[in-house]
Amino acid sequence: MSPSFTSASTLDDALAAVASGARPVAGGTDLVVGARQGKAPLPNDIVAIDRVEGLRALEISDAGLRLGTLVTHGDIVANADIRNRFTALADASAIVGSHATRAQGTIGGNVMNASPAMDTGGPLLCFDATVTLRSAKGERTIGLDALWTGPGKTSAAPDELLVSVDLPAPGEGTGSCYVRLEYRRQMEIAVVGATAVVVLGDGNVADARIAITALTPTIRRVPAAEKTLVGTAADADAVKAAARATAAAATPISDVRGSAEYRRAMAEVMATRAIAAALTRARGGSVPIPASPAMYGAKES
Amino acid sequence: MATVETAPGFVRQDGKEKVTGTGRYTADLTLTGMAHVKFRYADHSHAKILKIDTAKARALPGVVAVVTQADLPDVRFGGFVQDRYLFARDVVRFEGEIVAGVAALTEDIAAEAARLIEVEYEPLPVISDYVEAMSPDAPLVHEGLADYEKDENILANGNTMAFHTIVKGDADAAMAGADVVVKSHYRSDASQGVPIEPRAVVAQWQGDKVTVWSSTQVPYAARAGVAQTLGIPEADVRIIVPLLGGGFGAKCDLHFEGQVAAIARAAHRPVRLVFSREEEFKAIAQRREGISMDFETGVTRAGELIARRATLILDKGAYCGEGGFLGQMAAMHACGPYQIGAIKIESHLNYTNNQPSGSVRAPTAPQVCWGLEQHMDEVAAAIDMDPVELRRRTLIEEGAEGPTRQVFDHVGVKDTLEKAVEMIDYGRELPEDEAIGVAIGWWPCMPASSGAYVQMNGDGSATIVTGAQENGSGAVMAMPMFVGQELGIDPDDVSVIYQDTDVAPWDMGSCGSQTTFNSGRAILAAAQEVREQLLDAAAEQLEADRGDLELTEGSARVKGSPERSVAIADLVGEIGTVHGKGSGEVLDAPEGDTGGCVGRLGNETFLAPQLITQAAHVKVDRETGVVRVLRVAAAHDSGRILNKKGADGQVFGGVVMGVGLALSEGTMLDDQGRQRNPHLLDYKLVTCSDAPQIDVEWIEYDSVGPRGSKGVGEPPQVPTAGAIANAIAKVIGRHVGELPMTPERVWLATHGNGA
Amino acid sequence: MKVAATLMVNGTSYPVELDPHVSLLRAVRDELGLTGSKEGCDDSECGACMMLLDGEPVNSCSYLAMQAVGREVTTVEGLAGDEEVGPLQRAFLQQFGVQCGFCTPGMLISATALLRSNPAPSDEEIRIGLSGNLCRCTGYDGIVKAVQQAASGDVPPMRGAPVHADATPPHHAG
Repeated sequence: MSPSFTSASTLDDALAAVASGARPVAGGTDLVVGARQGKAPLPNDIVAIDRVEGLRALEISDAGLRLGTLVTHGDIVANADIRNRFTALADASAIVGSHATRAQGTIGGNVMNASPAMDTGGPLLCFDATVTLRSAKGERTIGLDALWTGPGKTSAAPDELLVSVDLPAPGEGTGSCYVRLEYRRQMEIAVVGATAVVVLGDGNVADARIAITALTPTIRRVPAAEKTLVGTAADADAVKAAARATAAAATPISDVRGSAEYRRAMAEVMATRAIAAALTRARGGSVPIPASPAMYGAKES
Repeated sequence: MATVETAPGFVRQDGKEKVTGTGRYTADLTLTGMAHVKFRYADHSHAKILKIDTAKARALPGVVAVVTQADLPDVRFGGFVQDRYLFARDVVRFEGEIVAGVAALTEDIAAEAARLIEVEYEPLPVISDYVEAMSPDAPLVHEGLADYEKDENILANGNTMAFHTIVKGDADAAMAGADVVVKSHYRSDASQGVPIEPRAVVAQWQGDKVTVWSSTQVPYAARAGVAQTLGIPEADVRIIVPLLGGGFGAKCDLHFEGQVAAIARAAHRPVRLVFSREEEFKAIAQRREGISMDFETGVTRAGELIARRATLILDKGAYCGEGGFLGQMAAMHACGPYQIGAIKIESHLNYTNNQPSGSVRAPTAPQVCWGLEQHMDEVAAAIDMDPVELRRRTLIEEGAEGPTRQVFDHVGVKDTLEKAVEMIDYGRELPEDEAIGVAIGWWPCMPASSGAYVQMNGDGSATIVTGAQENGSGAVMAMPMFVGQELGIDPDDVSVIYQDTDVAPWDMGSCGSQTTFNSGRAILAAAQEVREQLLDAAAEQLEADRGDLELTEGSARVKGSPERSVAIADLVGEIGTVHGKGSGEVLDAPEGDTGGCVGRLGNETFLAPQLITQAAHVKVDRETGVVRVLRVAAAHDSGRILNKKGADGQVFGGVVMGVGLALSEGTMLDDQGRQRNPHLLDYKLVTCSDAPQIDVEWIEYDSVGPRGSKGVGEPPQVPTAGAIANAIAKVIGRHVGELPMTPERVWLATHGNGA
Repeated sequence: MKVAATLMVNGTSYPVELDPHVSLLRAVRDELGLTGSKEGCDDSECGACMMLLDGEPVNSCSYLAMQAVGREVTTVEGLAGDEEVGPLQRAFLQQFGVQCGFCTPGMLISATALLRSNPAPSDEEIRIGLSGNLCRCTGYDGIVKAVQQAASGDVPPMRGAPVHADATPPHHAG
């Protein structure tokens, strides 16, 4: 059967196309690159959704943040409210790929790619993001832990389209940070990443979310580490203990990017840095966005 | 004479086409009826070929040719050892070996046809570890090595393709008399040249003659290789190089021009091969080799180097190619530009079932320099001396003896050291996670013949005809500037015809930093002939003494009397044909005492060595092992600098390439010698945001090349990794024993587990 | 099976027949004959194929040509506008930001995108903005200086006669 390509201008058109078996494409990057690298051939039928009305909306209010599926990493980084209130997400979007990746790559494509190394995954999990999947039959909203079932795998049905990602508003006293181990400053993929979202109340940690990236088959939170931190005054020992607990949850692989031993050690380092920076931000201190490069020292000495 | 600043407003003549996108590189060429080539690569890293069945591929609609070695003359090619067929005949020896080639109407059909070729193999044991390759029970990569055609000075044995020694005095006895003896072991991974343009070749036959457009650095070597492997005269082979998208050595040697020409002949139509990035990693026979290095130096408490022993083992990979000299070159770099009392270096260049190694920007030097310069810092530490001071006391100088007792003329290496440490403010206080490291290296000038024509046109403009190859550096593009200066005309009025073997005399091509040194010498000699003709004619016309005349601003005129002048265009009209040809005198390699050395292939002395000190200021994240290079100060002795902006550009590019070599560029292999990271996400080049600040100073004096110059292009790559390594060691307190010094390796060394 | 489509590239509309799976890069090079954009890696790692899509940079090797239908595509061939060589391009030449030239088209596109969104970038912003484009020749020094010069607005015109830009054999510059 010869390949087909359609470009949807309305959501109904897009849903009809995916219902008949077409694969959606927005920024295009992962799908086309994946095909070239022999991961999966390009799907026979493709529906471009990048011109569907309304899917690039970015709404931020007291209730929280709604990212239309077509919102790009560049859109996220440029938004002052996201930088203030969902700082870890801005940390992540700011270091995805290169300027071109950030201009074209969408949050929806990123989430549905379900890579265990995706930079935005940890922040989204820690901010309790939900995704809304719609099909011609209706729509449902699920958490990311229910969406991601394995590396590159999701629980979405073939006829479902991710239309938005919702993040509830973080409470007063929240600080957050995402950092990754990066060999280069740009054009990098996370070898190890860590996210921390902390809420301070009366000087103590009232709530904590910690997630690890590229260390488990899907990005996941580490409740044991979160528990370690909650209720403490977040001193150095508490941070260290939480970071240790974070590393203990890692089940890293050895590959060309690093050995399992190194990755496990780096899990603790990245977790320590993410928690410390999130605490600094929660206390009103300043850590630049993206946080990651600053962790290695800027070029100026 | 001071540095020659680049003429204000000078713009390279290939510049406009490059910035407007109208310039054509090989992959941009399309010929009427052109078919597309794909190769079928080996399915094993080492196996006997029992049978190749091409029937299914030939039957696929759209396929116009399938070629195997059975269709070609029984000819092996290679530099010092002739060990390879264009297409594997009996045995495949590495994963990128070509078994067959296909041409079809589309790339997709060609790829499918290549897949449909059925090859039956008998797998053979694989030897990928180049040190293990020397053990008596290692499987042999070339069973027939003893019977191959080879250079008479090649000493081959088992898997060792070439064995070399450098011997000066009695190193064993001298070592016994040292105050302190320091031993070090270092090992580098293989790495890659990675020109941003993947290789492309287009071939078209007209009768018995073939024209090949190729992204090669060495068109004349390609011509000779096509002629040899296809059994036709060189006169019937024309190599044209469209714009070349970088090479860095990776595009040296005969490289697929023979296969593509053979496929075009079988297809009865023009064909084009364009490599993917993955093929550019796996199939080319020109990577930077892995080297295992053991150094042992005997030193006095006063810092005199009285003895050096070293054993080098190099990974040749599966075939010789043009890289037969690598072992000998490495041995010279294990000595370095130092005065050492007695020397014994042994070097083994070993076959393996890995990708073949060849010349990549200063072949062997950056890795060996990285090891040696760390070893030198270890020697300094052992006698409690500052490493810069140790170098001050031991570097070569005018009148000093080299490793094979060549006696050096003026060399500026000590000046480069003083300049570099001054530039970086060596010794100043730094934060505890930062440090400055220093390394010094050298690289020879490569004398070679070359020929050129310069002809005057009727309007007073001039045309250069040269065999020189522009790799992108601008070395050939600077020639109009030099010729314009000789003839007193605007460089923009001097054009260049180049990169076409049917047009110009033989040239070595873009390799060995030799374009200015040799091609430039020939072009200047040709220009000087023209200059003489113009001056003769002007003297007659102006009735002036020849010695009183100058050529300037498009005219010949009497010095001090600008009114007595004649336009060069008018002189040309008067004379008729004005043209010059030139070769210049090819210099000999310096004399030395090389009688005690074996495996002499021509690198046992260094003509007019280029000398380089670089100092690197780095910041190390001890917790992760991530290293950021903040600044590199580069002080180079390349003789006179003829085109400062162009020369600076070589340093900027070479240093950044060296940063990659130091920190992130390593080819990783599995136990079958297959590459695990043949793509740019996991073979990491330095990006713009990771490139350090680079400061350049030139130490200038008259050397032996044209206008007092030496080469420029390769040296910047040589000591960069060593300088970075010594800086890292200062921060973490230990030397990192493996190259590249990836974050994980630095982290391991920091925490006591590394080498 | 190919489908009829119209691509708008550098202000010119091109009716073409496109394979639905063909990348924008291949379509522009093979169908339109605009070979200025280069294929250096085919997986968005080198930036040699960079084009502007409605003014935003895109790695055209990883973008389907069909997705570009109805959008304005700009390649290196379109950067000079009405000039023979635009100021950014001249700055690249004057600062020795061009050596082999293979990364140059993509670099120029990224620099154009950067200067449009940030007319006075810092050194750091330039370096981040060009990090999606690998260069092996220049060490980036001349390129960064060229972008600074272009941002300053002070880029002298080219001197000398127009260059013969057809590099079909025999190769002849001058």
